[in-house]
Amino acid sequence: MLEIGLFYVAATISLISTVLAVTRYNAAHALIYLIISLLASAIIFYVVGAPFAAVLEVLIYAGAIMVLFVFVIMMLNLGSAGDDLEHHWLQPSMWIVPSLFCFVLLIEIIIVLSTGDNMLAGTVVTPKQVGIKLFGPYVIAVEIASMLLLAGLIGAYHLGRRYLSDVREPSAENETND
Amino acid sequence: MNLDVYLLLPLISLSTVILTLMMLIAFCRNLSLTCAFSSIGLMVTLLLICAMAIDIQAAQTASLVDALVTPLIIVDAYALFFSGLMVFSSLCICLLSFNYHRARGEHQDEFYLLLLLATLGGVVLSQAAHFAMFILGLELLGVSIYAMISYPRAGRFSLEAALKYLILSGVSSAIILFGIALLYAAFGTLSFAEMAVLQRENSELDALYILAGSAMLLSGLAFKLSLAPFHMWTPDVYEGAPAPVTTLLATVSKGAIFAVLFRFFLSVDNYQYETILDGLFLLAVASIIFGNLLALTQSSIKRMLAYSSIAHLGYLLVAFIAADSVGGRALAIEASAIFLLAYFLTTIGAFGVVTVMSTEASDHDVDRLDEYEGLFWRRPMLATVFSVMLLSLAGIPLTAGFIGKFYIVVSGVDAELWSLLVIVVIGSGIGIFYYLRTIFAMTKRTMVTSVVHVPQTAGWTLAAVTLLLLVFGIYPTPVIEWVSRMAQAMT
Repeated sequence: MLEIGLFYVAATISLISTVLAVTRYNAAHALIYLIISLLASAIIFYVVGAPFAAVLEVLIYAGAIMVLFVFVIMMLNLGSAGDDLEHHWLQPSMWIVPSLFCFVLLIEIIIVLSTGDNMLAGTVVTPKQVGIKLFGPYVIAVEIASMLLLAGLIGAYHLGRRYLSDVREPSAENETND
Repeated sequence: MNLDVYLLLPLISLSTVILTLMMLIAFCRNLSLTCAFSSIGLMVTLLLICAMAIDIQAAQTASLVDALVTPLIIVDAYALFFSGLMVFSSLCICLLSFNYHRARGEHQDEFYLLLLLATLGGVVLSQAAHFAMFILGLELLGVSIYAMISYPRAGRFSLEAALKYLILSGVSSAIILFGIALLYAAFGTLSFAEMAVLQRENSELDALYILAGSAMLLSGLAFKLSLAPFHMWTPDVYEGAPAPVTTLLATVSKGAIFAVLFRFFLSVDNYQYETILDGLFLLAVASIIFGNLLALTQSSIKRMLAYSSIAHLGYLLVAFIAADSVGGRALAIEASAIFLLAYFLTTIGAFGVVTVMSTEASDHDVDRLDEYEGLFWRRPMLATVFSVMLLSLAGIPLTAGFIGKFYIVVSGVDAELWSLLVIVVIGSGIGIFYYLRTIFAMTKRTMVTSVVHVPQTAGWTLAAVTLLLLVFGIYPTPVIEWVSRMAQAMT
């Protein structure tokens, strides 16, 4: 019963924060809600018996990819105008809702961890099982996934190089102007 | 040799070529070398696939029938046929685009890497027997194509086209994933074979989930196959993409996705749901009617061919629907395989002519109808090749296109799809107008004096494709025999 309650709370938070992420005008605010949505999905994964997927969700999505996003947005807001903007962003109405959501999720994770292994679904998938599957019957999928990454890498490399020669000249001009 | 390794040979050989080519480009950038190496690699893969195809058909009754390699991949005659088609068209694109790329300056080598990766995606798709492999193949194909569409350094149209394709293709992938999730909720497995067993035993499956999942899967794939009413992106992307990439989009991308969709429907037997059949029927009618009507007014060859490819996919759906009756299933598989073969040959040839025409124009592709006026007087051979391709698209006898369309009609008659056949006939009638209009434009005597230089590599490839097209149109018996045995084995 408790697990079902935990699931519904996490699912509601995930839904609300996703809708908020889509409807925010400001990219930084949208990102905060997106991170909360990912954390909530991680809790759902944990509750239904997939702790490994939950950890990956936090590490890869909420961690690595989101940090990249934040970096990009920070780089776009250089200068003193950015500081004013940051003051403007940090009004209580902006951070109270996300913090509230995070707090609820924190309570949930504490409850889950303190009750032990009473997961919603009976079977718990461990990292070892995932690994054995990935390098056993699914090994071809892993290989093809690496080819997929290679395709993305080559494509990004080529598209990025398109602007190399264009960008160098204007930046040199800027330096002389300064 | 280990049977699994033997069956995986096409994938292994393609991957080896890709990795070696990457190293080759890293150490020695030389377009001729890159193109030659990828052509040889593709040729070796094609020969391997042909040898395996003959081998597997000979051993069809024996133990080789169990062609499942791990739960993910199935290498049967059907998979080999479509893999062969993918590799063949990629080989043609490789040879046709060599001069096109050489005229466009430095840094063209990665194009061949991406082409090979897209081919690998197509081969994976045609061998997929599991939704994990299906999605991986789809994305491998998609990601390579995004980069290839935006490949040219000059010109904004290609960037615009790439962005349009990226967004629409991304959305349709999301829809497909959602559909797969619903199917997983209904079946509890992602493997086609296990789904088929569950479906046959009818062990209290939730039909609502299956219907919703199949509908989402179908509409997502209809985006990628550019079936009306999901076709909006097609003309813009075809026009904006460089001509060799357009060829790839119209052949490998569509053929591979059709192959896997057909395999899914055949093995899981989704035909038992009336609603899905009605949806397919509407897709087919809309594609044939809209494709042909919208092609009428186009003044750009690429846009015209884009709409004509929408109509052709509509014809192909007739065979797809005809597989509904268990008795006519073998004929329907045979019809769609033959039709796709003819469509591939013709499309490669038609876009090949556009590629050759655009070789010298560095910043855009030559695709306006008035640029083709009087081509018969300037370049009689090239104009003849293009005319043969257009006649084949129109389905005139002695060309491959006729054999393909004939098979579609036969399978439709066999399944008694009379209303669809009427639409096919009307569509083909409209089609003849705009194909002939292009041919007439080429015979016009005009003041255009610009000389079109036909480069050797591309010229010989075009000649070979035309020859194949005519041979297949006049004496198709060997291919038909092989394909009909493949279709018998499938059912």
